[in-house]
Amino acid sequence: KKRFQRLHLLAAWIELQEAFLSALVSDNGDVMEEEIRGPVETGGSTSTFNTAWISRKGSFKIDRTLRELGSGLSDILGDEGVANTSDGDGSSNDGGGDLSEGDQSESEEFAQGVEESDSSEDEVAPRNTIGDVPFEWYKDEEHIGYNISGKKLKKKERQDKLDSFLASADDPNGWRKVMDEPNDEVVQLTKQEVKMICKVLKGKAPHKDFDPYSPYIDWFKMDAKHPLSSAPEPKRRFVLSKWENEKVVKLVRAIRKGLIKFDKPKEKPGVYDLWGDDSSSMEKAGHGLAYIPAPKPKLPGHEESYNPSLEYIPTQEEINSYQLLFEEDRPKFIPKQVVIHLHLLRFTSLRSVPAYENYVIESFERCLDLYMCPRARKKRINIDPESLKPKLPSRKDLKPYPTICYLEYRGHTGPVMSISTESSGQWIASGSSDGTVRIWEVETGRCLRVWELGEPVRHVSWNPSSDIPILAVSAGLDVFLLNAGLEDEERKMINKLLHIETSMAPDDTGKISSIVSWDQDDNHEGIRLKHFKTVSSVEWHRKGDYFSTVMPSDILSLCIMWLAEEPSDSNECFLRAILIHQLSKKSTQRIPFKLHGLPVSSAFHPTRSVFFVSTKKNVRVYDLLKQKLIKKLETGAREVSSIAIHPGGDNVIVGTREGKMCWFDMDLSSQPYRILKCHSKDINSVAFHRSYPLFASCSDDSTAYIFHGMVYSDLNQNPLVVPLEILRGHASANGRGVMDCKFHPRQPWLFIAGADSVQSDSDRSVMKTISALGRFCKDDRKISGGCGGGFTDVYSPGNHWLAISCSEVFLSSPIVVVEKIHPIEISEAVSVAARGSARVIEAAEADRAAIVHRRAIVCLTLLIYNRKARRGCGAFRVSLIRRLLRVGSYAGDGIASFGDGNWVPLDGIRVSILSVS
Amino acid sequence: MDTDEDVEGNTRLVYVRFVTKLDDPFKVPDTQLGLPSNITRLGLSTVVNNVLQSGRDNWRHEPFDFLINGELVRMSLEEFLLAKGISAEKVLEIEYIKAVAPRKQEEPSFHDDWVSAVDGSNPGFILTGCYDALGRVWKAAGLCTHILEGHSDAVTSVSIVKPKDVENDTGALVATASKDKTLRLWMFDAEESRGDPSKIRAYKTLRGHNASVQSIAAQPSGDMVCSGSWDCRINLWQTKESDAGASVSIKKRKKGSHDGESQSEGEAVSTLVGHTQCVSSVVWPQHGTIYSASWDHSIRRWDAETGNESLNTFCGKVINCIDIGGESSVLIAAGGSDPILRIWDPRKPGTSAPIFQLSSHASWISACKWHKESWFHLLSASYDGKIMLWDLRTAWPLAVIDSHKDKVLCADWWKGDSVISGGVDSKLCISSEISVK
Repeated sequence: KKRFQRLHLLAAWIELQEAFLSALVSDNGDVMEEEIRGPVETGGSTSTFNTAWISRKGSFKIDRTLRELGSGLSDILGDEGVANTSDGDGSSNDGGGDLSEGDQSESEEFAQGVEESDSSEDEVAPRNTIGDVPFEWYKDEEHIGYNISGKKLKKKERQDKLDSFLASADDPNGWRKVMDEPNDEVVQLTKQEVKMICKVLKGKAPHKDFDPYSPYIDWFKMDAKHPLSSAPEPKRRFVLSKWENEKVVKLVRAIRKGLIKFDKPKEKPGVYDLWGDDSSSMEKAGHGLAYIPAPKPKLPGHEESYNPSLEYIPTQEEINSYQLLFEEDRPKFIPKQVVIHLHLLRFTSLRSVPAYENYVIESFERCLDLYMCPRARKKRINIDPESLKPKLPSRKDLKPYPTICYLEYRGHTGPVMSISTESSGQWIASGSSDGTVRIWEVETGRCLRVWELGEPVRHVSWNPSSDIPILAVSAGLDVFLLNAGLEDEERKMINKLLHIETSMAPDDTGKISSIVSWDQDDNHEGIRLKHFKTVSSVEWHRKGDYFSTVMPSDILSLCIMWLAEEPSDSNECFLRAILIHQLSKKSTQRIPFKLHGLPVSSAFHPTRSVFFVSTKKNVRVYDLLKQKLIKKLETGAREVSSIAIHPGGDNVIVGTREGKMCWFDMDLSSQPYRILKCHSKDINSVAFHRSYPLFASCSDDSTAYIFHGMVYSDLNQNPLVVPLEILRGHASANGRGVMDCKFHPRQPWLFIAGADSVQSDSDRSVMKTISALGRFCKDDRKISGGCGGGFTDVYSPGNHWLAISCSEVFLSSPIVVVEKIHPIEISEAVSVAARGSARVIEAAEADRAAIVHRRAIVCLTLLIYNRKARRGCGAFRVSLIRRLLRVGSYAGDGIASFGDGNWVPLDGIRVSILSVS
Repeated sequence: MDTDEDVEGNTRLVYVRFVTKLDDPFKVPDTQLGLPSNITRLGLSTVVNNVLQSGRDNWRHEPFDFLINGELVRMSLEEFLLAKGISAEKVLEIEYIKAVAPRKQEEPSFHDDWVSAVDGSNPGFILTGCYDALGRVWKAAGLCTHILEGHSDAVTSVSIVKPKDVENDTGALVATASKDKTLRLWMFDAEESRGDPSKIRAYKTLRGHNASVQSIAAQPSGDMVCSGSWDCRINLWQTKESDAGASVSIKKRKKGSHDGESQSEGEAVSTLVGHTQCVSSVVWPQHGTIYSASWDHSIRRWDAETGNESLNTFCGKVINCIDIGGESSVLIAAGGSDPILRIWDPRKPGTSAPIFQLSSHASWISACKWHKESWFHLLSASYDGKIMLWDLRTAWPLAVIDSHKDKVLCADWWKGDSVISGGVDSKLCISSEISVK
């Protein structure tokens, strides 16, 4: 029970302290609380220790307060303690002593604060002399310390905590008891003491006698005298020494002698009035004449800062000369002056100076520079632009080449479609769409022979062998082999060669002969090879025995095959597009290769048995002996129009309908070595010279270009291509220009066949002129492009495929217009429509499916639906086409029903339909 | 001299003295004349004519041409002196000659087709070849005396081999070449003339070329002819060999028989091989020397006896015509596939550059001929339809004969004072009274 009471007391005391401290250090309250709680829990530690510990954490302010407080308290306590000791025995256990002890230790704590100094126990000597060491050190000892005489202070019999607590609880004065640790005794606080503590806690004066305003005694005042010696100062300290006296005497003497002067003369001022009025210096020139000072220029003022003087303002010539400089060398800023009424005026004020006009731009560029971080220094490279040009030889060194037109070969009344030179160069043949073939003497321009073939001539080709002057001419659907011999014996020989035994029944050879038949043509002393459609070109083999014909395949041939109830294999048709004929055996064979695409022209290799076939996009090179494809040259062009082989055989030029010319080096790659974009319109023909390093192209833009094309025998050196000359001489007629160009076989002369009606020969060049072909299908807006012949365009409205091609359009001659369908979609052909003004189809005989009309344009259109559409109108099948072709007659403009089905034309195309009779 | 007074004050005077090699009626007195420096050829000619006229009555005005230091005056006197750097202080000696220009244009003689060849080496008649495969003999303008019939294709070249041989009484011998690969020799009496042109058949056919024969030339003695052809060869042929055959054919002709079998055939004596392309022109100016020009751009000189090539000049252009003449008859004049008439001097060693280039034509040159007597004069015909007369002493043409409407294919001198020419307009034009000294 006692123990409990003691604990209670302790707690109460701690509470008291707590309240006291929290009032002082409210900011650190949390910390305090925590620190305080620890000792409470352990229970063993003393309150004094706690407070000391707390005050250590506290601020300096608290320290000071506590110190003052403590000092006051200690005064009182000291007094009391003295009183206590006087009346009580030193070692007794009574409460007063205890109390004074406890109070004293407490006051000590307060007074010393942070330092915990042990030097403040002057008044009451503690009985325990261990000093300020932790009591734990004596925890296990019998003694608690030593008294002043060095004897051990024995530990008292200690109650356990519970007992002491209970005892304090029982004791009514138990709350006043405080443990005096160093002395190991319990002290009971008196009433007065408690009262004093309470007063202190309330911040009042602890007792009546406490003088808060006691005078301050500064014991450590600096001026406090420390009288080391009280003896008066000796005299010598005030009297001059002997040496000093001598020095003074010296000075006095010097002053008397005047060696030392005290009144220094006044110094003159070192400045003068620079800007002062000069009039004051009039007296300078007092020679009778009045001195007139030179006029002073006006002093520079503020306005000079924004008005540069004249020499800094560039004149107009200088400004102009800046334009010649490089942009980076030009001055960044050119000072200006106001120009008013042609007078240069100065700015009257800074306000009137205009803003720097590039301010925004330059700051923007600066920002941009910073943003883009062009840290690399810009380097201007001084390169002569001329040096960047490719080093081409001068044109003078590349002579001779054709330059001037000297000769014209006049006689044709229609467009000259094709020319061909005889191998010796004495004659030239020309074929025109007026239906004639003529032979001219090159030297004089004399027309020697004329054949009237009746049909427009597409192509002429002279047999390369000089012994057999035979002219192969493609006209209409036929190829004629004409006897071009000029002398009797020669003619007889050729006639023999061109004779066909009638026993050779064309049917023997089977299917092919139904396409091509060799007939004797007595009218023209030659052979007529009947093809089933227009032959666009004829090319001879170098030995003059074989020749190839190209028929651009189109829908008509397909129709014919259907009509003939042949297997409608589209490839079959393409195979027949190029045929090779043998003159000596009078036989025809198809080329044994599968063609991919529509053939345009063909050529034989000049030395080897190699055959070139150019389709619309590519050129394929075949070996005729091995019968296989050697190479495929990709032109990259949309439509190839012509091809020419270099006499060396390794280089090929290809002309396209886009006006480009591609030079292929067959040794290099299948891509063009050079692409020459020279013509603005379709290239109609390209040609190599046989011996000179020249090649030429001619185009619908009425020009022909001459190029130097040197092929070196050194394989490491690439061919040299230099454009040389543009030859003009033909007028454009109906959109067609120069139709064909050929070099003289031996001279550097070029022959050009034109579409106007003049034929000319340049120093070197002969030109033929041709009147042009009409453009076709003008009102079918989607159909465009080279309508002179061949395939025109593919029209695909929505899901439907419509491909249209015109193989021939001649305005004043039989017109065959054939439409073409996409090869993939052939089986889906649905309908045929014809447009024209009169009867359309006369004959659809099985052998020659000429859909011919004499006066009108006939247009057959195949419209092909996709599969869905075909299901929708299934009646329109190929069979219908057949029936149409047989019996079709014109029904009229517009849309007509088909008899057994409904026909819906495609948008945008006017379709006339043949009625089925 | 008093003539000073006539001159305007601000033009300089040039003191001249006229000299001439002409005969008496054209001689002026040897006196100094002060002439204004801006006087031209026309002015000089007028002055000379006035001086001459002052001496005589009924003087016919005669145009003159003037030579200073061997060059013809083609600009004002002042410009000429400046250009040539001749001092005007000294008395200038001006030689005058009769102006070379046709004074008369004869009536054209019409053919049926293009006139391809003409030969005027015999003053008695003109021989022409035509594209209608006939040769024609003209006595004068429009007067055709004989028609040479026999070729099957255009006649390309004609040559008078021998004028009338009085001793043998054989008549004139001519040769023609044709595109039918043959040459034919003809003999006729040029003197006889009837109203209608008489048709003559060849007395000899020369076969051997296997391409068109392009040109023909006869030896000066008339014993041989040479021919150039498209087969790149030059063949030499005998003309004499079969006099009998010739007489036969004459007899036949007299009988009016047209039996071709009586014609004798000849073969080439020798062949000159070397050209690589068509031999477009041959000339045989001296007994043993043949000159030939070819489309292979070369001009070659051959020794007729050995068949060796003794000169080979490269020209760079196709050559269509060639002639030898001029100074000491060795200068080569040639024209071809450009408008420039070039003249070479083969005596100049080490160079193949032409010594003269005369370029006033506008198109290919089809014919060029030296004047037989003059060292300086020659003519050229071109496809631009013009015939030009040249004097080597000036770069300008002396005269331009513009009588043809279309290409001129052939031209020649005739009788020394006329120019005969044929062309695509099927006309034979004769420009006469050209006073070449």
